[in-house]
Amino acid sequence: MSQIAFWGALELGLVYAFVALGVFLAFRVLDFPDLTVDGSFPLGAAVAAVLIIAGLNPWLASGVAMIAGAAAGLVTAMLNVRFRILNLLASILTMIALFSVNLRVMGKPNVALLNVETMLSPLYGHGLRDFYVRPLFIGVLVVIAVILVWRFLESDAGLAMRATGANARMSRAQGINTDRQIYLGIAISNALVALGGALFAQTNGFADVTSGVGTIVVGLAAVIIGETLLGTRGILIALIGCVLGSILYRIAIQLALSTDMLGLQASDLNFVTAVLVTFALILPRLRRGGAA
Amino acid sequence: MISLKDIKVVFGKGTPLQKQALNGVSLTIDQGSFVTVIGSNGAGKSTLLGVLAGDVLPTEGQVLIGTTDVTRRSTASRAGLVARVFQDPLTGSCGPLSIEENLALAARRGERRGLVSALGPKRREHFRERIADLNLGLENRMQDRMDLLSGGQRQAVSLVMATLAGSEVLLLDEHTAALDPGMAEFIMGLTQKIVSERKLTTLMVTHSMRQALDYGHRTVMLHGGEIVLDVAGDSRKDLQVEDLIAMFRKMRGQTLDDDALLIG
Repeated sequence: MSQIAFWGALELGLVYAFVALGVFLAFRVLDFPDLTVDGSFPLGAAVAAVLIIAGLNPWLASGVAMIAGAAAGLVTAMLNVRFRILNLLASILTMIALFSVNLRVMGKPNVALLNVETMLSPLYGHGLRDFYVRPLFIGVLVVIAVILVWRFLESDAGLAMRATGANARMSRAQGINTDRQIYLGIAISNALVALGGALFAQTNGFADVTSGVGTIVVGLAAVIIGETLLGTRGILIALIGCVLGSILYRIAIQLALSTDMLGLQASDLNFVTAVLVTFALILPRLRRGGAA
Repeated sequence: MISLKDIKVVFGKGTPLQKQALNGVSLTIDQGSFVTVIGSNGAGKSTLLGVLAGDVLPTEGQVLIGTTDVTRRSTASRAGLVARVFQDPLTGSCGPLSIEENLALAARRGERRGLVSALGPKRREHFRERIADLNLGLENRMQDRMDLLSGGQRQAVSLVMATLAGSEVLLLDEHTAALDPGMAEFIMGLTQKIVSERKLTTLMVTHSMRQALDYGHRTVMLHGGEIVLDVAGDSRKDLQVEDLIAMFRKMRGQTLDDDALLIG
């Protein structure tokens, strides 16, 4: 693997770390299998790209992308909480609807972000090569996100959210409005995913309506790899695990695809993903000494 | 104070499975009084507790806690007024959270939960002291996950949790039923201590006739959704477990040999 390929994998891993954090909030904290992310990731990319092209400040555009993601999450939460649709199904409905929404937002399947001011533009051309600048910048954002999510989950409000996912009946007896926790948690989760999408568009120079396919698998893979490596000994460690898992996942993919010996090509990506996630899932069992 | 006025609860109204779970129950429990509730399966004990906790909304009637009308309020919105310990130790606390996190959850019952760290040094110390009072050695395991504790230990912590937020009403839902006899006795002693120290208005549902007569100031028996016995004071002192069993038998109009073994 060349150096550029390595830094590229690191960059993509850091972008998808936002997805991993979002997936962690939904799947692990709230115990809510939320597939909305397959739609909210390209939604974030689309909203940010269109607004940036329209001349909006890229930071503001990314903020609006997060709000759009949160709104998508609220729709899923409402279908589940208010109308009692099974959580998984509710999120699939939102995800399908978002495909059309994303096409509407962009007006076409693909929008290029060339020669426009992105969040990264001011950082280019100060002596550091671009392929270093991108992962460093996104790395800083990831650290900030991890700290914020960590502090939130260890606050009174965050504790209420964790309790809702772990034991809803007890939570209500402790005065926690569990419905509100689901709204809030799924909104934050999808806002993080949409921010990932917005950063993806700005680092790769385009937003594409199909870029969301399999986002959930990638996010889940990152969460599971993180848990396999670091365990679940506390919130901060779990969050760091998400980020580490996301990066290692990308590096593993890059290694698999760039090793000529294996004879893999880019179109084998999804197969390699499935193998990796399966491996991450059975690894803890293998480590425990075999027989399932 | 707790006040129930002519509570009626009907499940599955208008369906072939319609069931009248409570049929005009009125009950007033004075401030600081400890009432035990007994009754056979299906008598309405759990429904009565559910009506007070908010899990069951009555079809008719009025529920007052203190001076607040909570008849239509959800479980969560009345939680600040009512503390509760469940029968199943797993229900009353959060397994994946640590002991101190569970206490932090309970300490904010009925209050706004903000972005302040849930476990500041001051709160940690306070929780530690409260857990140390149990004399179970749990004060050295504050960061252990709750699901590492035994059922009895979890119930003990649940009792502490019930008293952290300072509500005046305590609901106990057969909270020793899942424990071995030794642990059940320990938990009952602890309950007694907490209730009298904090002058809590307490309602305890139990299957044990012994407990029903040994603890508290007043005993109520439910049958078929109605109160069939309500004793306090001297007449309660004279009452024996055998008398209660005889009443059960009469009520059912059948022999209770097996049950007598179980509930004696």
